[in-house]
Amino acid sequence: MSRVITITSGKGGVGKTTSTANLGTALAMLGAKVAVVDADIGLRNLDVVMGLENRIVYDLVDVLEGRCRLRQALIKDKHFPDLCLLPAAQTRDKDAVSPDDMIALANQLRAEFDYVLIDSPAGIEGGFRNAIAGADEVMIVTTPEVSAVRDADRIIGLVEAFEKGHPRLVINRIKPKMVSRGEMMSIEDVLQILAIELIGVVPDDEQIVTATNRGEVAVLERSSRAGRSFTDIARRIAGEKVPFPALDEEPGMIERFFGMFGRRPRGSER
Amino acid sequence: MTNLVAIKGSRDGLRLQLDEAAGWPELFDALGEQLSQGAQFFNGARVTIDIGERDLDEAQLGALLELMRQHHLEPSSLTSTSRASRNAARAAGVVARPVTRAATVADDRSEAFFMKRTIRSGQIIRHHGNITILGDLNAGGEIIAGGSVVVWGRLRGTVHAGALGDRDAVICALDLNPTQLRIADLITRPPDDATRYQPEIARIIDDQIVVEAWNQQRHSL
Repeated sequence: MSRVITITSGKGGVGKTTSTANLGTALAMLGAKVAVVDADIGLRNLDVVMGLENRIVYDLVDVLEGRCRLRQALIKDKHFPDLCLLPAAQTRDKDAVSPDDMIALANQLRAEFDYVLIDSPAGIEGGFRNAIAGADEVMIVTTPEVSAVRDADRIIGLVEAFEKGHPRLVINRIKPKMVSRGEMMSIEDVLQILAIELIGVVPDDEQIVTATNRGEVAVLERSSRAGRSFTDIARRIAGEKVPFPALDEEPGMIERFFGMFGRRPRGSER
Repeated sequence: MTNLVAIKGSRDGLRLQLDEAAGWPELFDALGEQLSQGAQFFNGARVTIDIGERDLDEAQLGALLELMRQHHLEPSSLTSTSRASRNAARAAGVVARPVTRAATVADDRSEAFFMKRTIRSGQIIRHHGNITILGDLNAGGEIIAGGSVVVWGRLRGTVHAGALGDRDAVICALDLNPTQLRIADLITRPPDDATRYQPEIARIIDDQIVVEAWNQQRHSL
């Protein structure tokens, strides 16, 4: 039973692409066959984050317009042969694709992979609608900021209107210290507003930046706290019961939990 | 409140029912008055005009459309049992349907609308009567009611009660932390430091929207 999961957020820059790359890799590490699809036509990024940019020959629009077969456009990951990227076209825009195209594409990928992760563009327009058209499930990424949460709320309403079931939530880039000082929205604050199921919390981690710049993903780095969180989320997607480390605890306990894995590098907190 | 113009909320938007028997000039004025009173209520809504059996010629229909446009309303369709009226509407480029309706329905503002879900940012709930929400109204979401609004949950968005002019309408919530409250023609926003987690009720007292704790007010309603 393969699953098509779209990762979206409404607001840009909250970590959709990073989440897609890391979750795709983590699921492949768990032994699944995974395709990650960049649905951000015209502003492609997923290939860069995964360090596969220089291997692109054909892209998603080439497949849809019949210039190549799906298999020719799929790019094998550097580390996991069972992980493939379908890159977006860079020289076209969102109008090159229709929701029906995306449904057909998702069904084609479903035949060959256990998981198909679709990286949605920001916004609520055509690109977003294309990205969720073929999805069985939707994951919403937000950061603990009022603007991102507001946009996530808007997106959840749209996802429900498109009858994609109840989306699940990833809270990205949380800074436990700021939360414990009452300077950042806590997990509870975000959940109180959005009222959807939480599938994971990812701490702010500078290693995401350094890994991305090298075209590597954080889940491959043992020392990355964000990487460990993404691995947890991937296991939850796969149906495992992975405890939420500090969810029911006071904000201070979250910090203590992260403290067990060693101190933050000096200067990581502004 | 005039009886010549009835407003019904439905899944497809709003239905404006115009009295079939009244004289045209009288009805026309009544509609103008209703649209002025409910400017916020109609704002951005999909509106169907239901003129029943009335025969409208093109000039009358043109005047009707012009009146609606003055209030920034673009009718999405017109329903009438009169073939002449439907032809006039089509000539003016408005979708016309021959839907009949049972005898003129009174515009019952005491009718209520119940919804069990969270109203999220960008969503809007509109009804000519009272509205009850079992769930939260999130910031960026809107509820617009001809009557009163009760939110059994957290109210963080914008609510307009009495949007057709009823100053007796009230707004209640278990936790009233709105972006903005409107009752009839009055608008208020909460003080910037207001965070009280208690059931509250908002209503008009002496030309002002007043918010009070439910506990203190329930005996005086």
